[in-house]
Amino acid sequence: MRKGLAAGALARPALALAVYAIFASSLPNYHTAVGVWALLDGSVLTGLVAVGVGLTMIAGELDLSVASMAALAGVLTMRLIGVGAVPAVAVAVAVVAAALFGAAQGYLISWLRINSLVFTVGTLIGLRGVALVAANETTLTLPLDQLSITDAVDGRLFVFSPLSATMLGAFALAGLFASRTIWGREIYAIGGGRAESRVAGVPQRRPIVVAFAACAAFAALAGGLMSIRSGSASPLSFDAALLEAVAACLIGGVALEGGKGGFFGVLMGLFTLRLVLSGIASLGAPFWAQNLAAGLLLIFVIVVETASAAVGRWRERAGARAAIADRGA
Amino acid sequence: MSTVSQGARPALLHGKLARRFFWAAAAAAALALAGWTTPAFLTLDNLFVVVRAASTTGVVAIGMSYVTISGNLFALSAGQLSALLGIVYALLVRAGAGAPAACGATLVAAAGAGAAQGYAMTIVRNPIITTIAFGAVFAGIAALISGNGNIRLHNEIATWIGTMRPLRVPIQSWVFVAWALVSAFIVAKTRVGRLLTLSGENRLAAQASGLRVDRAAAFALAMLGVSCAIVAIFSVSQFSQAKADMFSGLDIDCIASVLVGGVALRGGRGSPVQAALGAALIALLQNFLLLRALPSGVRFAIVGALVVAATSGFHLLQRRER
Repeated sequence: MRKGLAAGALARPALALAVYAIFASSLPNYHTAVGVWALLDGSVLTGLVAVGVGLTMIAGELDLSVASMAALAGVLTMRLIGVGAVPAVAVAVAVVAAALFGAAQGYLISWLRINSLVFTVGTLIGLRGVALVAANETTLTLPLDQLSITDAVDGRLFVFSPLSATMLGAFALAGLFASRTIWGREIYAIGGGRAESRVAGVPQRRPIVVAFAACAAFAALAGGLMSIRSGSASPLSFDAALLEAVAACLIGGVALEGGKGGFFGVLMGLFTLRLVLSGIASLGAPFWAQNLAAGLLLIFVIVVETASAAVGRWRERAGARAAIADRGA
Repeated sequence: MSTVSQGARPALLHGKLARRFFWAAAAAAALALAGWTTPAFLTLDNLFVVVRAASTTGVVAIGMSYVTISGNLFALSAGQLSALLGIVYALLVRAGAGAPAACGATLVAAAGAGAAQGYAMTIVRNPIITTIAFGAVFAGIAALISGNGNIRLHNEIATWIGTMRPLRVPIQSWVFVAWALVSAFIVAKTRVGRLLTLSGENRLAAQASGLRVDRAAAFALAMLGVSCAIVAIFSVSQFSQAKADMFSGLDIDCIASVLVGGVALRGGRGSPVQAALGAALIALLQNFLLLRALPSGVRFAIVGALVVAATSGFHLLQRRER
């Protein structure tokens, strides 16, 4: 068990490194600090969304509404800047609003005891609609006199941009929260076994509310930051974010049934995914090929994960059989 | 044992009635409000318009209801699969296969793509993630084989298929109604329909009694695939063109139809007819908002709110039933 855990923890960075090596050998810009900077900066959207989605997946649920939430937050950020808010304040307001919405969503899911996949399909549609209404069905852009803020978030310190540093900070924060705090451990507990955790006295509602609030907040942070970077927000944007975030989590070892995985793993999963996608893009493939690759990668990971789980169960059973045979002899 | 079933029966009946009443009341209220505020809404001509408008979403929603009844929630790949099948059909017709042969080949491909998803989701145990992944692949292949462009058809038989109007009603409306009736029969009266409902009702019990749950999922997804193929064939034939993004947003409308129609999300209960009625209700809503010249964002927001309200409402009713 211990040994398996260590092997898993090593396998994910190794996979990320291997993918990096493959593309770095054919693409010259992958070696340079600027190349790595661009890779990191390109991972921000998926990364921030993956942090939130990862939390709900660990809780044994899944928030499908993240892409719509990110789009809405982007629109909201632009609107607030449009009426004269400081960009940081605009993003913060969007994040807080999203967190409140997410908490309400989590509360309802827990109270109704409804499948979160079903509930969040509704909010996925509804939030997209709200984003469309809020944006008047057009793409919002920054006022011309404010355009300089898009440069401010484009800085470079060694390989980090302000946005990628924020994303890495979010990963560290989520990782510490999930592994070191009681509220975080509760999320693992209810994801690992709902019935067992209830018997053990773990509160059932708080972890769901926390996970969904954090998920919506991180999605909103992603949407807000992206809209500031591009200087525009479209109510129809980010529709591939969910697929990529879930793929990053699954590659990173978060199990679909919940209770498993950590944020270092998700970060490695994110790097693996982004390296493949941006590598494909740098090789000159059209944009839809990225989506195709993400889909294939996701199927591949699911197949490997399922197969390894089946092998694990088989081994366990074989072990139990051997133990019984020993006792018999 | 017998006391349990006797005790459960009135409660079940009560729940069923309550659910029916919930739906009927909601629909009646919506219709009355709409007719009152928009006179053109409650006319016979508009009814035909609504059925035609509901037909595309409706046929796929009927397919989606198989998935829901089989206990696999829904598939998020229907729009992408429809587009892919539309392109396959268009390419086959253009290659000179003849429209009937192209229809047959498209239907076979659809059933295959569906069944593959069904088996995969049984292994993965998460239908949503599985179909998101498959959907991305379908969309990628669709863009790949169409060169991400518009494929135009110049085929008289295809145009005839897409634009015929038996009894002056568009073929799409006929197909929609017929598919709803056929599907209701399959689910309620056939052996495979029983397999579907039993697998959905109680997966573990079905497995324990030797039913092939994976086959139920494969059949359900294959029927969804066939529904996608029907929609793709008629749309491509009618408009004489196919594009990789031609059915974007279809998934969401279908899922909304299934949910608003009140097909039980736990699986095992409900009829494809409910999904068809749900699609009609969504089409009514859309039609109403169109007549009122409201923007599409409002439509999305209302559909989303409707889905949340309907799922929560039906869920609470079902829970009380238990």
